[in-house]
Amino acid sequence: MNVEGVFYVNSTLEKLMLDELRNSCRPGMTGGFLPGVKQIANVAALPGIVGRSVGLPDVHSGYGFAIGNMAAFDISNSDSIVSPGGVGFDINCGVRLLRTNLHEKDVVPIKEQLAQSLFDHIPVGVGSKGIIPMNARDMEEALEMGMDWSLREGYVWAEDKEHCEEYGRMLNADPSKVSLRAKKRGLPQLGTLGAGNHYAEIQVVDEIYDKFAAGKMGLERLGQVCVMIHSGSRGFGHQVATDALVQMEKAMKRDQIEVNDRQLACARIHSKEGQDYLKAMAAAANFAWVNRSSMTFLTRQAFAKQFKMAPDDLDMHVIYDVSHNIAKVEEHVVDGSLKTLLVHRKGSTRAFPPHHPLIPVDYQLTGQPVLIGGSMGTCSYVLTGTHQGMTETFGSTCHGAGRALSRAKSRRNIDYKDVLGKLEEMGISIRVASPKLVMEEAPESYKNVTDVVNTCHAAGISKKTVKLRPIAVIKG
Amino acid sequence: MSNMFKLKLTALGHPNPEGFNCEDEKEYRSVVLWLEDQKIRHYKIEEREGLRNIDSDTWKEAYNTYQKDLVSPVNDGTMNEQLNWLLSYAVRLEYADNVTKYKDVKAEQPKQAAPNVVSSNPLDNLDFDSPAFKAGVERICTLTGVGPHPDPKFRLAAVAKILKTSPHPSPQTTDTFNINQPVDVLNLLFIQDLRELQTKINEALVAVQMITADPRTDTKLGKVGR
Repeated sequence: MNVEGVFYVNSTLEKLMLDELRNSCRPGMTGGFLPGVKQIANVAALPGIVGRSVGLPDVHSGYGFAIGNMAAFDISNSDSIVSPGGVGFDINCGVRLLRTNLHEKDVVPIKEQLAQSLFDHIPVGVGSKGIIPMNARDMEEALEMGMDWSLREGYVWAEDKEHCEEYGRMLNADPSKVSLRAKKRGLPQLGTLGAGNHYAEIQVVDEIYDKFAAGKMGLERLGQVCVMIHSGSRGFGHQVATDALVQMEKAMKRDQIEVNDRQLACARIHSKEGQDYLKAMAAAANFAWVNRSSMTFLTRQAFAKQFKMAPDDLDMHVIYDVSHNIAKVEEHVVDGSLKTLLVHRKGSTRAFPPHHPLIPVDYQLTGQPVLIGGSMGTCSYVLTGTHQGMTETFGSTCHGAGRALSRAKSRRNIDYKDVLGKLEEMGISIRVASPKLVMEEAPESYKNVTDVVNTCHAAGISKKTVKLRPIAVIKG
Repeated sequence: MSNMFKLKLTALGHPNPEGFNCEDEKEYRSVVLWLEDQKIRHYKIEEREGLRNIDSDTWKEAYNTYQKDLVSPVNDGTMNEQLNWLLSYAVRLEYADNVTKYKDVKAEQPKQAAPNVVSSNPLDNLDFDSPAFKAGVERICTLTGVGPHPDPKFRLAAVAKILKTSPHPSPQTTDTFNINQPVDVLNLLFIQDLRELQTKINEALVAVQMITADPRTDTKLGKVGR
């Protein structure tokens, strides 16, 4: 190992994490992913890594890197690498939160109609197709321009761009580095939610921990209605990652890069393969922002129709938009000197502190809003970045609940009718494309998001601001 | 140059400043002798023989020795430069002899041709010689660890250099209030400026949107997955 590997847990999460390790060490257990603890250690042994290989409280095993792992590589070191496994297959998967000036009591009577209207506007599920017409040329432009494309075409507001990580556009995106196959997969999927853990939820403010920070975000009273959209780059990002892995295996042989796990395929940042991946990844990130922007537009339309009011009058502003599967070039202080790093965040959210130049002016005093989506039917959180997080975890924190059971195990152990029944009992309207996959996303399959968030809060790497509770869910 | 000589000779009380022609070798020599006799008086009277022989060929030699003895910085320069330095030196000596008489004299403000430019930057009107300014610089310097220097502006430049390097040194705990208070004020002013800028950017984007925006949806394209 080149650096230390660490992870943040409380006692409950520690048990889950060590159970995962113990199970995988039982005789006869082969195949599948390595346990998260081992993956964090393998990442700590990658060339060029600086600081520490950090596991966030929601960490669980993934492809190569654990999901909930962040690692930073020194760009000035020619050995440093970039790894698609450190970004994830759903490039720029992220969460966007919209606020409204509605109160829970305005929404509850027409909750079912509103959920149905959202479901009609935002196509969900595997193989879904969007309702925003796009041709190949639009697609090329969108890949290069990201949210600027949505802005130009009039799908979003100028203020939306202001309140988005990276202002919704990675400038190094190069669509020519993306395979035709990826573009073909992506084209019909713009403006669709996808499947898996992705969702759109109508939520209400359940608890406010930090009145000042919440106020800056426009969340001022309990019961205020918000909309959370959790989605990514769909098949497009998946294809970009798959294409890159093939190229990188060749590059590893040529440059004699040795890693502990075949899944950690990587290339030197300054190699052609490394640069090509970063440019294609940026294009996929732009795709995801256009995707979330399109769904923002559709959400506003759905609300406007139901309440017969303009989205402006409903104050449907974007509070923030975070990416939790991405690698970005950032400046950090390492051992007392300023360094330019390539920070991989996989299942980890950027959480920059107050006064950081890369966060919007409205959040200069509070720190960057961090949006943590819970599992289906549980609560979600808004946190803010802290100075301690900046020094300890390169300004990173958790991203969600994090799986506790594998998808296969969930399918075996849980019945989908029970899951739907339970949500109904809790008064949550639900619209799903494929009910039979719902048990994979049942709250029982996930860690308790409150445990995860409290651990981050107690460790000081981010600060609790607001808790949100769902009243309607749209899922794939 | 001759005008400059005229001014200085007048100031020194030369009997004929108007008629002096520096190109004339003889007049030049006599002015040098007059300066030494009346104003500079570097040599004892008997030592001035060499300079007194204005018509002699050895005068030049004596003049060179004289300049070296005065440690003139321009004894390799042109004749005019040499004389100009001698005149300035004489003026300086004259002033030093009568400081009390001259120190209150103020030059008349020449009329300004250009209109007065009123500076809007309050920092331009800062009095760098005021004790308050010096004390302030002294305080910042102790906090940032900048060493002593007689010129406070020089020390302030050093502080600016330190502030530009990052990461910043952390302040000593006893002085955090002194540092944090102005830092907070600057931060708030900066955020206000930034907000104004961002609003202007948004306005520009909206203006462009008026021309380019044409959001369309086509529900026929939609398809819900399985």
